[in-house]
Amino acid sequence: MTPFHFEQTYQAEWAELEALIDRTTGRKTANDSGARAAGHVPDRDAVRAARSARPSRDDRRATAAQDRVRLAALYRRACEQLALARARAYPAYIIDRLERVTAAAHQLIYHRREFRFAQLRDLALVAFPRSVRAHRGYVAVSAATFLLPTFIIGLLVYWRPEFILSVVSQEMASQFEQMYSPTAQALGRRTASTDWMMFGYYIRNNVGVSFQCFAGGLFAGIGSLFFLAWNGAFGGAIAGYLTERGLSSTFYSFIATHSSFELTAIVLSGAAGLRIGHALLAPGRQTRRQALVTATSETSVLLYGVTVMLIVAAAIEAFWSSAQWLPLPVKYSVAALCWACVIGFFVVQGRRDD
Amino acid sequence: MSDVLDTAVAAETPEGIVLELRPAGLSARLYAFLFDGVVRLFILYAAALGLGFLGGIGAALLLILAFALEWFYPVAFELTSSGATPGKRVFRLKVVMDSGLPVTPAASVARNLLRVADFLPLFYGFAIVSVLTRRDGKRLGDLAAATLVVHEPPAVPRIALTNVPPIAPARPLSPEDQAAVMALAARAPRLTPERLDELAALAASVSGDAGRAGPQVTRRVLGVAHWLLGQRGTDSRPAKPHRLERAS
Repeated sequence: MTPFHFEQTYQAEWAELEALIDRTTGRKTANDSGARAAGHVPDRDAVRAARSARPSRDDRRATAAQDRVRLAALYRRACEQLALARARAYPAYIIDRLERVTAAAHQLIYHRREFRFAQLRDLALVAFPRSVRAHRGYVAVSAATFLLPTFIIGLLVYWRPEFILSVVSQEMASQFEQMYSPTAQALGRRTASTDWMMFGYYIRNNVGVSFQCFAGGLFAGIGSLFFLAWNGAFGGAIAGYLTERGLSSTFYSFIATHSSFELTAIVLSGAAGLRIGHALLAPGRQTRRQALVTATSETSVLLYGVTVMLIVAAAIEAFWSSAQWLPLPVKYSVAALCWACVIGFFVVQGRRDD
Repeated sequence: MSDVLDTAVAAETPEGIVLELRPAGLSARLYAFLFDGVVRLFILYAAALGLGFLGGIGAALLLILAFALEWFYPVAFELTSSGATPGKRVFRLKVVMDSGLPVTPAASVARNLLRVADFLPLFYGFAIVSVLTRRDGKRLGDLAAATLVVHEPPAVPRIALTNVPPIAPARPLSPEDQAAVMALAARAPRLTPERLDELAALAASVSGDAGRAGPQVTRRVLGVAHWLLGQRGTDSRPAKPHRLERAS
């Protein structure tokens, strides 16, 4: 069989497969122009049939099912023909066309669809808490790396307020002091639009901090440890300083509620980073690269969850924490409820089918 | 030699065929990145013009938009059917898994969050070193997420046949030789006549002209190529009886 003969025998199948791929992806222009540039005229009839066959939803579903069956069959044949064409060293344009069409069909056939509603619910309510429990060792190390500097630096600054200057500049310290003074405008009389503005600011800032704690894991986990400890020390220093200044009631009532989501999210992304770092340091029976890929894909559930938690935290921080007209007991009880919910969620949720 | 220089990555499918992926290098990815930067700036600018009328809430929405653009612009575009951000699409690049499959949501999120690590120590320092030193052009995020940024090569044009009568080969040709002669015919329109003659002289033995060179020999070699492709003219010599498929 000569190349021309081969092409003539099978090109109707290839054109049909190309038309099917275009119809399934709903993308006409790109592939058509590519095919035309290569001198292949797409099967006009197939394309026209695809356009006209859209009367009712049932019909569409039926054609879609038929399409899938036909696509798989044609794909397998094209694979076979590609193998033949390669073995017989046919000219590049034939192999190229077959490579293109098989690659496109391969992408369609083996495409994994993760985001369906039921799967999203499973992800949030089952996979996320399970993944946190599966990484409990990393979570513990991450929490310790974050909380130890918080308490140590916090107590140190409470005991000797001048130490605050080794963590932040003087202007920043006085700015914080002003921000949390009970008469401050920033907290007391905020309008709806400033609330929104702070929401935007918090989201950006917190997500940045949190993703840093995760990405730092790529450097053998040292980056994660550093960012966790640094952010812990920073928070501790501010807390110690403001407590010493006697602003504890405004400060703690402000942070108590949203910290349940925010600090937990930071600790969890740190844990994900530590998992990656650990995989690089101690890959076990895999190569370092395989271990890294496995660790990354297994921590991705944590990252989805962390992102949602950070958005919730920013919303609480902007719209609830800043509301000073609420009596303190209400704020503290809501804060306690949030903490209980967050911890309870990770401890209890999704255990049924374990 | 081609093994050493070629950066193609082979991904085998369950059907037993090998998909060739062509990893993109630093320059193509840098252009795409800069283009995306301009697109993002433009979106922000347009949004700022529109949201300016809303005052405080507008500024807040702008901040939220900036946040979304910073972290989720690449993810959102990579999960579309093209698997590429606008910048990548302009430079005909695409993000795929190592297996050649479309990038999964988990991998896309991971590779884009790990930009933070790639960015260090200064302006994507680690990413640049990694892309330049690795044959598959992966940055750290690609390594961890098992993704590749690949070129989408333009379609290979069909062989434009010149008007040469087909000639049966003078001797049995192995599949490699057949491929070489057909490839020469495919390249012929893009070569200068002198260079074409030189190359055809190297293959002259296929038409029984070993040791000779010149436009006549070139025509005969191209004629063999046309014969191999499957053209059978009426005025050509009667085809010799060798079965070409089994010639090796």
